[in-house]
Amino acid sequence: MSKPKKEPIKNGKLWIVFGILFVLINPWYFPTGSYQPLFLGIPYWALIIIGASLLLSAFLTYVLKYQWNLEEDEEEKEKKEAK
Amino acid sequence: MELAFAGWSGVLILLMYGAIMLGVGVATYWKNRNVHESLDEYYLGGRGLGVMVLFFTFFATQYSGNTVVGYPPTAYRMGYEYLVSVPYFILIIMVYLMFAPRLYLMGKKYKLLTPVDWIDKRFKSKPVSILAAFLMLYALGNYLLEQFVAIGQGVSGLTGGTIPYQVGVVFFITIMLIYGWLGGMRSVAYTDTMQGIALLFGVFMLLIGSIIYFGGLPTAADYMQAYAPEKLGVPDGPGTVNWFSLLVLVGIGAAVYPHAVQRIFSAKSEKTLKRSFTQMAWMPFLTAGVVFVVGIIGIAAFPGLDTAESEQLVGMMASAVANQNALFYWAMVLLFGGVIAAIVSTADSVLLTFSSIVSNDLYGRYINPEASQNKKILVGKLVGVAAVVLLVIIAWFPPATLYQIFVLKFELLIQVAPALVFGLYWNRLHPKAVFTGMLVGTVFASYMTFANITPLGIFSGLWGLLINLLICVIGSLFMSVSAAEEEEADQVIGM
Repeated sequence: MSKPKKEPIKNGKLWIVFGILFVLINPWYFPTGSYQPLFLGIPYWALIIIGASLLLSAFLTYVLKYQWNLEEDEEEKEKKEAK
Repeated sequence: MELAFAGWSGVLILLMYGAIMLGVGVATYWKNRNVHESLDEYYLGGRGLGVMVLFFTFFATQYSGNTVVGYPPTAYRMGYEYLVSVPYFILIIMVYLMFAPRLYLMGKKYKLLTPVDWIDKRFKSKPVSILAAFLMLYALGNYLLEQFVAIGQGVSGLTGGTIPYQVGVVFFITIMLIYGWLGGMRSVAYTDTMQGIALLFGVFMLLIGSIIYFGGLPTAADYMQAYAPEKLGVPDGPGTVNWFSLLVLVGIGAAVYPHAVQRIFSAKSEKTLKRSFTQMAWMPFLTAGVVFVVGIIGIAAFPGLDTAESEQLVGMMASAVANQNALFYWAMVLLFGGVIAAIVSTADSVLLTFSSIVSNDLYGRYINPEASQNKKILVGKLVGVAAVVLLVIIAWFPPATLYQIFVLKFELLIQVAPALVFGLYWNRLHPKAVFTGMLVGTVFASYMTFANITPLGIFSGLWGLLINLLICVIGSLFMSVSAAEEEEADQVIGM
């Protein structure tokens, strides 16, 4: 059975999450000039930005895998038939 | 980029890289002799690129040698504020999600070859297509110029001046033209793979060497705490705005790179495209992140460099690391060979797309639609060579710093984004509104760039894009398209 067709742009909920992650990868929410505590020489705020960036990559991976399906089923079917 | 250490070993590595690239070109040509008979074969590799090759060709398109040589000096000068270079590469993938799924489908359905092809299919408007084609050609030309300057500097730096700047430029461009000429997209994508691997290997060796010999991030932090705490601290107001602007400008700009869009059309299947994007979503940590750390380590390793001196940072660090032992010596020679190879790989992608726009969108569509595919390809190649010669003449006397050239090309390129992306979803988008928006946005962004006006610290290209978007949307609402046109647009987009 083929999976339902999905296009990320049509799913508003995804973009709310993307919006939140976008807000988090901008350093507006830290006090200007602050850098303590340092972890292995990295300022705390940079670690938080890196963390948010990792979350963004992880979420992108999820969306790419599960929320985008327009052609794949047909293409896979064609491939099988060709074999 | 000065490298005291390499000299003749650098020459050796460069000749080796050159020979491999030529070998790939000749092999691809032998395997696909019919490549010059079809635009699809020549410019898109027959729409059959698999996951690994597609990934590396995306990688080479987005990360050039400039990422390795240009980003650490910026991190050196700006400190942690330049950490923005990591998320902005991730954002590119997020922006792709807004249009790549549908554009891939359109590409397959209508056999699209270039981004302008799509714009023409969607709007059927000569002014819109031609303006978009020229904006893209300008940006691509600008991009090529940047790569050529970087090749020259890289080669003369790596060989300690044994090969002069100009000879380096001419040597590598000739090789690039030959393998591009022979195998088209396939040659470009296969060489991208080799170049990408060399670059990744070298960058990691530089990081390891820097950590061993310069003490890594804690040492850098101690130095900054004592002498430059602003490089450690959270960016101030203007710094935060600059951060935001870079995220948006690069996120959108790099996603609509015409040569990147063309790679969406080259994918073998949706699955392949999705997998390549997934890998790309994680690459910023391994590339931009690594070179950022190298720049930060440089702050303590080579303190007190002025702007011009700091541009040589990677060369200085590599020289110091290479002097430690034979392993690092050869790793650093490979790194710089890899950097030059990566620059060539970005340049070849750009040149191929440049030629395809000339072949298909200007010559093939408006000048001589009756021409055979073979002739269209030939015209694209010849104009490509002419453009290269012109750019080499400019590169002979390199202008400004690389970073300034980098920002300028985005300002104009992103003006194409509304037509490219909005057109995919909104059937009422009016061609006249799109044209006016693109033109006004371009004029506005250029004027602001040259007059150096950046209200609120936001880049002029983004202001141009905002005006462009407003004109597109409001114009389309006022100039309603006829029911027939709306239906036609529906049929084009209709899925």
